[in-house]
Amino acid sequence: MSLPSQQGGYRPSISTSSLITPSLLALTDSPSSQSQIDASVQDYLLIELVHSLRRSSQVARDRLQKREDEMLANGLLTSTAVAASTLAAGQVSAGLGSKTSLRGLSAAAGATANVSVTEEEEAIRVRLEALGAHVGANLAERYVVHTPSVEATESSSQSLSADRGRFTDTLDVIKFLCKDVWTAVWDKQIDNLRTNHRGVYVLQDNAFRPILRISSADGPADSLKRAKIHTAFPAGLLRGALARLGLQGVIIAEIPSLPQCTFQVKLPKGT
Amino acid sequence: MTWWSPLQSACQAEGHQGYEPWWLVPDLVTRNGCHTFMASLKQHKAIGEDLWKGRTDKINAELFALTYGALVVQLIQDYEDYAEVNTQLEKMGYNIGCRIVEDFLARSGLGRCNDFREVGEVVAKVGFKAFLNITPTVTHSAPAAPVPSSRPPSGLNPAASSTSAGTYFTLALDDNPLAEFVELPDEALEGGLWFSNVLCGVLRGALEMIQMQVEVYFISDVLKGDETTEIRVKLVKYLEEEVPVGDD
Repeated sequence: MSLPSQQGGYRPSISTSSLITPSLLALTDSPSSQSQIDASVQDYLLIELVHSLRRSSQVARDRLQKREDEMLANGLLTSTAVAASTLAAGQVSAGLGSKTSLRGLSAAAGATANVSVTEEEEAIRVRLEALGAHVGANLAERYVVHTPSVEATESSSQSLSADRGRFTDTLDVIKFLCKDVWTAVWDKQIDNLRTNHRGVYVLQDNAFRPILRISSADGPADSLKRAKIHTAFPAGLLRGALARLGLQGVIIAEIPSLPQCTFQVKLPKGT
Repeated sequence: MTWWSPLQSACQAEGHQGYEPWWLVPDLVTRNGCHTFMASLKQHKAIGEDLWKGRTDKINAELFALTYGALVVQLIQDYEDYAEVNTQLEKMGYNIGCRIVEDFLARSGLGRCNDFREVGEVVAKVGFKAFLNITPTVTHSAPAAPVPSSRPPSGLNPAASSTSAGTYFTLALDDNPLAEFVELPDEALEGGLWFSNVLCGVLRGALEMIQMQVEVYFISDVLKGDETTEIRVKLVKYLEEEVPVGDD
């Protein structure tokens, strides 16, 4: 939102600060002075989110399955067409790839149970990552555009791309992730950052908050397995934040041992 | 006697140097009921403030609002039925509430509430303040005649009043941290979506864990175009303490 230069060269830099009244300024306060809530609330929400999405993705899949059955029954689709449309629909709604439970295939394979469990995990993972991406993108935007270091009046009127000059290179963006984003979301910074200087960065957190207190009755191996799904949201968050800052990256999260977590960020060549 | 400290500090903050601390204890019969009640109102507020300030991990409320908002959108896409989404949000809240009450009791160290009225006060001034940093305004229903049969024989303070089934309190939220960036589309409005229904679930779950069966529902919501956001918490009955099977 920049002031159009109607006056030509008369006054080259017209400050827009007069447009920002005190009441407007109060609305656009920086993230650090905004309202806060207790961190445990977010933790509880994220845990319950996973369970909730598990149920809802099941419902969504059942409904899709039912619709296909109806269409099949009415002869509107042949089974091969169902397979193709399921694949397409599956990829759209759950991004499944080759593990879609195509009715013919899964019955023939006889491994229905295995396929549907993996498919269920995938469905939840995709949803969590999408959620994370949405949150990450908005978070990055708020933190880049409205940081206190930039002039209060100017920052609210500048576009994101203009502010992008703050990040001189990719490493800066990654460091922003490691420090500011991590602190904003999990109240600490990344413990270790490594890179191969060819577009791959590895962010290591030795006490990753979402998986810090997971324990399972079936032993540490089971805890680790259950912890994996809770890295989907953070991975999505990173991906969203990077995307909003202009970098298309692929994030892979790994848990070498609880509560350590590493995020591998692969950026395309040339960045 | 570390349990006394938040009450003592609240007491001292109010300048009540001369009073003995025993009358601040919520579950003892007090001599001067009126005095205690007035003091307890301020005391709850002070406890809430202390809990909030003492908390070191705080996060940006926006993060929470964003996460919750994205979740609601996803649920709507999956269920395609607003009533079902309301139920699911409430269910989710119920699970969160069951856990959060433990956290709350551990942190606040508060004892039993004398009556449902006090429950309302504690929920609004201490509970909401400690977790969401907001203090909704509480309004209570007119106390009806107490129904002794609905109360368990052990446990509750015999001097309590207004604890009959049907008593309720209403929480009016001035600003709802969940609804920061939210605007509901027409279909959601028509479909009857209660966006912050998770709060109802949290209250229901938390109160059920402390032996109160309640009905919690929204009366109005700013997102729907109403003037205020109000939640009603109605007492259904007190629950008997159940001994788990095979435990005796």
